[in-house]
Amino acid sequence: MNCAESRDYFIACAEGLLQEDQARQCRAHLETCASCRAEYEAISRLQQRLIARGQAAAGVRMVESVMSRIRQEQFKPERETIMSRLMKHGWGFGLSAAAGAAAIVSIILWTMPNAQAAAEAVMTQGAQAVARLTSIHLRGQLRTEPNDNFSGINPDADFCTIELWKQFAPDLKGLKWRVEKPGRVVVMDGKTTVMLIKPAKTGVKVEQPTASAFDTEWLHRIANLSNTISNEVKNARAKGWKVSMAEETGADGKAKSVVTILAKSGVPDNEWGKNWFYDSADTRRVYRFDAQSKLLESVRIYLERPVGEVQIFDLSQIDFNQAIDAAEWTLDVPADASWAGLPDKLAMLPDNEKYASMTAEQAARAFFEACASKDWNEAGKFMSPITEEMKEGFGGLEIVSVGESFANKTYGGRFVPYEIKLSREMIVRMANTNAAHRYVIMGLYDSKQNPQEELDWTNGPAILPDNDAYARLSPAEAMKAYSEAFVQLDWETMKKFAPDYDVENDRRQFAQLEKSGTDAKSQVPKFEVGEAFWSAPQSAWFVKCHVVMVKKWNLAIRNDNPARRWQVDGGI
Amino acid sequence: MDVSDKDHVERCRDGHPEDFGLLVDRYQKPLFSFLASRVGNYPQAEEAAQESFVRAFLSLKKLRKPESFYSWLLGIAARVAKEQFRSEIHRRQGREAAETMMSSAAAERADYPLEEVIALLPENHRQVILLRYYEGLSCQEVATRLAQPLGTVTKTLSRAYALLRQELGARERAEKTVNRTEPS
Repeated sequence: MNCAESRDYFIACAEGLLQEDQARQCRAHLETCASCRAEYEAISRLQQRLIARGQAAAGVRMVESVMSRIRQEQFKPERETIMSRLMKHGWGFGLSAAAGAAAIVSIILWTMPNAQAAAEAVMTQGAQAVARLTSIHLRGQLRTEPNDNFSGINPDADFCTIELWKQFAPDLKGLKWRVEKPGRVVVMDGKTTVMLIKPAKTGVKVEQPTASAFDTEWLHRIANLSNTISNEVKNARAKGWKVSMAEETGADGKAKSVVTILAKSGVPDNEWGKNWFYDSADTRRVYRFDAQSKLLESVRIYLERPVGEVQIFDLSQIDFNQAIDAAEWTLDVPADASWAGLPDKLAMLPDNEKYASMTAEQAARAFFEACASKDWNEAGKFMSPITEEMKEGFGGLEIVSVGESFANKTYGGRFVPYEIKLSREMIVRMANTNAAHRYVIMGLYDSKQNPQEELDWTNGPAILPDNDAYARLSPAEAMKAYSEAFVQLDWETMKKFAPDYDVENDRRQFAQLEKSGTDAKSQVPKFEVGEAFWSAPQSAWFVKCHVVMVKKWNLAIRNDNPARRWQVDGGI
Repeated sequence: MDVSDKDHVERCRDGHPEDFGLLVDRYQKPLFSFLASRVGNYPQAEEAAQESFVRAFLSLKKLRKPESFYSWLLGIAARVAKEQFRSEIHRRQGREAAETMMSSAAAERADYPLEEVIALLPENHRQVILLRYYEGLSCQEVATRLAQPLGTVTKTLSRAYALLRQELGARERAEKTVNRTEPS
């Protein structure tokens, strides 16, 4: 073997891959050739370094922990931006908290997908493993408005924690459950079912035990794990949904079986309400089971939209058969809370016929007219309760148009397209105590000067190339320049007056709205900048602003109650 | 060849964050080794590696060349290690502590360019090195995993060794030049 032949074999030799006679020839050459020997030794040294490096990292497994940290980072709530705060009433999404207790919509079954044999086996074993549950506690993260219905989903919202505690029993008498998200909580203590809508301090009571209520059905279906898992298998088979399965190693070093199901809601893409609730959404559901115990460990749900996939639910904590503290079955409703009537308990009015004979369009117009004149007693005949938030947001509105109503198969009422103009007063705090000596927005206040949002200038306003021109602006002029840029969505100019993160988040939210088909541009609020005043205690200027915005949406309204009166159910 | 780094990065950016787990799986060990050499302590190296992955995920949209994911990740990890080093000195509040830490980190420092140099390899060469030495597969197992003949794997390995030695040699020579010109 000569030098060239021998060098071709060095790696194979170092790796022990040569046949015995080839290895012998290679070694023989190395004994006689100093240059090749030096070359081979250099390769061996590098090989030993590589082996040592690999061995040092042999036990490293961080996929699960990294992904879990990433999920936590994603769940961190973002700060509210100027635009999102202003748009709260302008871009309200579906059945909002303002619709309050009236928003008790009937939810269609959360149906499930189709399976292949291996996935079916895992699911069936998973169902059997939890066939005799005595209690369950679920804690997950859902993309939803914190105060909205329990089943409402909003792929553009931040994640909120949602929890369910449930004590199983053969009949309703022994059953107890509690469901909670930041703005709402329902407790069924075995006798009554009570919901508290926290920001509106509104209570709703059903004088009987229930298996589920107030839009919590989908979560109960997950809690009844055995049925849920079995139903997934049945539905997947019946509806031809795509099912796949994978095996992986968890952070605990144990084998996991992961079943993925692509579920189709059957609701057409252009249907109103598509993807707003679990039952009208196309989803990819990922169930992860421990391969040995067969117990379900996590559920992840992704919303499948034409514009892309987004995770909307992450159920990472499932506690089986653990004692539940009795405190979970109690609910302290504040003494000053208002109690709302359920749609099926609506009182008959003395002039009930006048309202019962209205069309959906007439009822919608009458409701908006009552809001316009701030006649909250009259508005209350169409919606209960009328909250302070509702009064502040909608009082004095101007009706632009009320269109012809329509229906769809996912909702028991009708939808009335409308366009209204909303206006509100706000105060902006401005300061130039920064290195650039420019007036910039430091905080937002309501009309009574209650703080709403402080803007965090982490790095402080930058010194601009033409800084002097901006440093000469008065607080009101600076606010005017910002508001003009706001209306034109001139993000770069906006950044001269508001922190980068704020403007960037606004830009992103705006893009998301446009992508979701909302004509957001036509609904951008317009400011009228008023007088500025100095506050010595806060060492800051305050600028009064009048904000006007147009809202175009569909009012969800239904009259399937004994009084036959149209009740606003959402779309506010 | 498995799915490329570029494809994974693009999938993550397209709304499939779970694909990032595959990149973590691919690079967790070399990243850990790289950091262990820098910080000289395994628990801190693991913490720094996790932090680096999380930061990388959060700034994935800023990555201009998705095919250079690994070398970009090492850049992030170097910054994380530096920050960790500074905060540890601050925490211990002592010059003596700093000196102890610096000398313990220096003990293995001579080897930390190895992962940096691996990052410079073409992706198919890098993958063979990672599977063989960091995942601990035999050459035959690497061949099976990549659906390649054994001969192709050894040729790739041979070429990877040549490139690694070339780059390591260049770095060593450069370091010697710097040391010679530095005042004593």
